[in-house]
Amino acid sequence: MLELKVGQSVEIEYGGFARVIKVLGSGGQGIVYLVEFNNSHYALKWYDVSKIANPQAFRKNIETNINDGPPSNKFLWPKHLTKANENGGFGYLMDLRPEGYDSFVDILNMYKLVIDPLTGAARKQPVQFRSLFALVTAVINIVNAFRQLHRAGKSYQDLNDGGFFINIETGDVLVCDCDNIAPDGYNFGIGGKPGYMAPEIVRGISKPDVQTDKYSLAVVLFKLLFRGDPMEGEKVVKDICLTEASELKHYGKEAVFVFDPNNNTNRPVRGIHDNVIKFWGIYPDYIRQAFTYTFTAGLADPNKRIIENEWQKLFTRLRAEIVSCQCGRTTFLSAFENLGDTTYRCQRCGTHFPTLSFSNVDYRIPIYQNARLYACITETACDDFSRITGEVIENRLKKGMLGIRNMSDKVWDVKMPDGNFYHIDYEKGFPIWEDLEIKFGDITAKIK
Amino acid sequence: MKEMLEKELDFDDDPLNAMGVSRKSLVIFFLIDTSGSMKGTKMGELNTAMEELVPEIRRIGEADTDVKVAVLTFSTNLAWMYSEPISIEEFEWNRLAANGITNMGAAFEELNIRLSRNSFLNSPSLSFAPVIFLMTDGYPSDNYRDGLRRLNENSWYKYALKVALGIGKEANDEMLAEFTNSPDTVVHAYTGGQLASLIKKIAVTSSQIGSKSMTLSDDTIGEIGVDDVTDSKQRQLEKEIQDIVKADEFSKDIPFDSGW
Repeated sequence: MLELKVGQSVEIEYGGFARVIKVLGSGGQGIVYLVEFNNSHYALKWYDVSKIANPQAFRKNIETNINDGPPSNKFLWPKHLTKANENGGFGYLMDLRPEGYDSFVDILNMYKLVIDPLTGAARKQPVQFRSLFALVTAVINIVNAFRQLHRAGKSYQDLNDGGFFINIETGDVLVCDCDNIAPDGYNFGIGGKPGYMAPEIVRGISKPDVQTDKYSLAVVLFKLLFRGDPMEGEKVVKDICLTEASELKHYGKEAVFVFDPNNNTNRPVRGIHDNVIKFWGIYPDYIRQAFTYTFTAGLADPNKRIIENEWQKLFTRLRAEIVSCQCGRTTFLSAFENLGDTTYRCQRCGTHFPTLSFSNVDYRIPIYQNARLYACITETACDDFSRITGEVIENRLKKGMLGIRNMSDKVWDVKMPDGNFYHIDYEKGFPIWEDLEIKFGDITAKIK
Repeated sequence: MKEMLEKELDFDDDPLNAMGVSRKSLVIFFLIDTSGSMKGTKMGELNTAMEELVPEIRRIGEADTDVKVAVLTFSTNLAWMYSEPISIEEFEWNRLAANGITNMGAAFEELNIRLSRNSFLNSPSLSFAPVIFLMTDGYPSDNYRDGLRRLNENSWYKYALKVALGIGKEANDEMLAEFTNSPDTVVHAYTGGQLASLIKKIAVTSSQIGSKSMTLSDDTIGEIGVDDVTDSKQRQLEKEIQDIVKADEFSKDIPFDSGW
């Protein structure tokens, strides 16, 4: 292929030159370089046009994407096309990955290799989400990014583990490799990766589209949460050598979900799939059911795959059900002991904590110190899962007494221990007590 | 009592308390001729190319594949550089020296023993078929056909991606094609520059193909059958190796076999 050399200049379509500084990485379709353009640094993806079926159509598609702009700020979107050189080679500029983001691959491996610039020796550095909250937020962000992409009428096509960068502190997500994104129904030659590809693509009877994206999205989410492959169990491991024929079989023609309730031939194997076995038991039923539906009914019928909006609701609930107990135990509400009413108890340290019901959702939200409420729960018809509207705090004057502080710009009406309702403004708080009732406009939350 | 019992229990229900995902394994075998004729520039180029190659192929497996390397040298005697395949992330190249005759047949027999679930391919999880890269500058001193016959009965060998690099005029491409089962995965280096660049390009290409899942061709129409995908990696390797050979500019250095 025709590679670029360090120091070489590449002409940008609408004027100016980008100068190659160094190689950042290489992939199936080309090489990514660090370049300087207009006194800023960018990443330049330079194509090996011999590996692209129809370079003109491919280029035109990128141009359309640049003109349309990204569906949201979660995409490392193409910014400028280069002119084609005398060999037909071309590429596009995009922003560099910002500091603080790790690749999905490193997150799955739980380490990254840091190369000592002097000796060239590789050192392993752990990569782990800082909190369960950050993990579930990353999941919501991924789902939300694909929801926005699909709403823009486009599909990602080759969704796989190389497609994301995630901030492990905050759960912020950047979707990269956006150059194969195409209007739904169009395909510029990209197939994908078995294990991530929908079975109908592996089998060759379908091309990537929004429905196959939904399958790949479910695989990405499963891998991030359960840390294993949803289709790799006993049946697959028996093959020992993973040949092309066995991939076609296990990810295409005869794919079986490892927890298929009606087919136990492909269960995870202890010693190999320990993560999947352990985490399947930890996640609440509604999460397991959603994956089971997508990976059983949705295997053969693309219309039976969970849609992004549904995933977003499920994971918004999951995030609201995270409990960080004062003893340090952090897990989902379903793992704590329900004391028969609306109170739960930590089996490790004995701490009790109440839960709040909300009139707009059919689940209860645990209330413990530092727990937060989000706009998607406290505001009508709102899906903003990142804006905090309330937080659980300890009373400054009375230790051990918990209350909620209004962090929203709305006035809440709250039933106080004297039985009367009071207006609670921004940054004002109120105690949590047995007959607490909060009116957030149309939405009401209650302890009982 | 209940609380006491519960305190004894280990609440291992932290959804962050994971291990890395289970990965597929790929072993890359290098079979290297260290007979006396390899002395000097050839060995120097080979050692340097291999040292430089290791960091380049470190991230080839990415999350999916745990890439390991095993190096077998053959001359009068056989020797493995390490007693078992070593993860590419920890692998360090030990510089090789050349001496003795070319017992390639013995190397094939040894490889056959190691290409087994009970030996070098003992990963409990799934493995990709291995990559086997043979480098030699001469014709076998021993009877290589017996070793080759045994290898051909080994399933790992059958599925393996096999490449051979002939160095200098003495290396016999037809014999090497018997090893790789395809003339398209035999390449030839005549100069030092070529040797270094071919070692790297071939090793990177074959391990990239070997460590990846099958890729679908763009022009598939209709249901794919097993026959359509069988050997698809081997065919991809043949095509890419031929591309490398074509792109390789024949340098104007003095050939290895001249001047001594």
